[in-house]
Amino acid sequence: MNRNLFLKEMRRNASSLMIWMIVITFLIVLTMSVYRTFMDNQSKIVGMLSLIPKGALQFKGISNFNDLLSVLGFYSVNNIIYMMVLGSIFAIVLSSNILLKEEYNKTAEYLLTRPVNRSEIFFSKLAVLLLNVFLLNLVTSLAGFICIELVKRAPFSIGSFLILSTYTLLLNILFAAIGLFISTLIKRAKPVTTFSIGLVLILYFIYTLSKITESASKIGYISPFRFANVDAINPYYSLEFWHLAYFIGISLLLTGLSCRLYIRKDIYT
Amino acid sequence: MSTPMIDITDLSKFYGKARGIEHLNLEINEGEIFGFIGPNGAGKSTTIRILMNMIFPTGGSARIMGMDVIRETKKIKSLVGYIPSDANAYSAMDVHEFLTYCIRFYQVENGEKRITELSELFELDLNRKIDELSLGNRKKVSIVQSLMHSPKLLILDEPTTGLDPLMQSVFFELLRSENKRGMTIFFSSHILGEVQMFCKRVAIIKEGKIIQLEDIDTLRKKQLKKVSIEFTDQLIKENLTIPGVEKVITGPDNIISFMYSGTLNDLVGFLSGKKLINLMIEEPSLDEIFMHYYKN
Repeated sequence: MNRNLFLKEMRRNASSLMIWMIVITFLIVLTMSVYRTFMDNQSKIVGMLSLIPKGALQFKGISNFNDLLSVLGFYSVNNIIYMMVLGSIFAIVLSSNILLKEEYNKTAEYLLTRPVNRSEIFFSKLAVLLLNVFLLNLVTSLAGFICIELVKRAPFSIGSFLILSTYTLLLNILFAAIGLFISTLIKRAKPVTTFSIGLVLILYFIYTLSKITESASKIGYISPFRFANVDAINPYYSLEFWHLAYFIGISLLLTGLSCRLYIRKDIYT
Repeated sequence: MSTPMIDITDLSKFYGKARGIEHLNLEINEGEIFGFIGPNGAGKSTTIRILMNMIFPTGGSARIMGMDVIRETKKIKSLVGYIPSDANAYSAMDVHEFLTYCIRFYQVENGEKRITELSELFELDLNRKIDELSLGNRKKVSIVQSLMHSPKLLILDEPTTGLDPLMQSVFFELLRSENKRGMTIFFSSHILGEVQMFCKRVAIIKEGKIIQLEDIDTLRKKQLKKVSIEFTDQLIKENLTIPGVEKVITGPDNIISFMYSGTLNDLVGFLSGKKLINLMIEEPSLDEIFMHYYKN
């Protein structure tokens, strides 16, 4: 890893990271702030929710109204879209551009002519990527934890909260690996931001569709969201071995392939 | 015998089926100022990009200071400076920030002093944002970053684009003084005048192949002559069929001029007995030589 490049990249991405942190934290705070109102009017709200078709509720992640009555259930149902979907969009947008932007911004001719190996460039940028994803998850999870502590009416399982946060982090890292892999496949450099965001949204849509429709439940397995268990109020909630193996295995595989491709890639500006 | 500064052997690069360069062979010695000329698409930038390990060759090999450009690229790059033809520095940085970022890749003592010296020489404002700079000023940044670690080899790809004549003169003066101190210079350009003025030896590249490799002086003197004849005898114009006559231009007042690659004896033999007013045999400019090779 090259320290000079690492520090420059951290500075370059600092404002973007800050904006994403503020936006996701704001959305979490906003959502959790209605929890007490929800609990005070739970019978009315549950009554209203019962009028909504089951499929539509499942699309939002609500499979059981009782999930919403626990503070952790309310947090996981309402914040999955922010922390998992927005976090994954942040990860994939950053990762798909972190190497590629040197090409389409025509700065690669300066970077690649420094005394630094391609592998050092790759690992310096990978370190920046992982640190950014980790910091986003740390700050937003911390914000979520503080919100839960402030609005809770009954104790909740910190262990389950940490498991949920770990799944979110692993999901974000997997999307970071996907973005990195996509960027190394691009021959002629151009931004792939729209494609990357679209990919996250399509995979999230496939996941929700698989939850709504029994006949479509199998296609959910092509989406990484399927492996990020958000059923945090389940008494048997845990980090499942095969889910961990899935996230870590695919992330490592894609990162390894990306490194190999980048080291041998023809880079034009 | 000393190791060549650049040693290119049978180097090829294809982009799918499209040709980049084909079986290129070139040897550049330490301390040389070497010109590499050819029009756009001839393969100049492809060659340079392989040397700088930005792209990989399809075949052949290239070595700089005896080191393989792929396997030992890091060591090579610590000893090489490079001015790209059209590169944008990081637009959010100011000039000083960018140059400091660049110099930190090298183990340079007094790096800050070197940045100041070179910036003052090129009248570069270190506090300006890169994206506020004109093309000429961006080029100056590029020149400064290429020289601040005092490289042994400097690779230039169209280095004067955007520079005003005054700055071009400062730039060439600096290069000459660095060359006297031992720096080898590989100068790629399609501006023939500056290659002619600055380089000692030149390679002409056409469609991915080197078609001529000579000293600049030898290239000019060796074969090609520019001949102008003022005549009263129309037979000269009508029977100008001796081998080696090309690109005949008929001027006003019975004057013709042409490029001639045959022997002077043949030319004089042909003209003897004809009615001439004036005969001028000159060395052609590099532009004319270049066009000659390209037409053939």
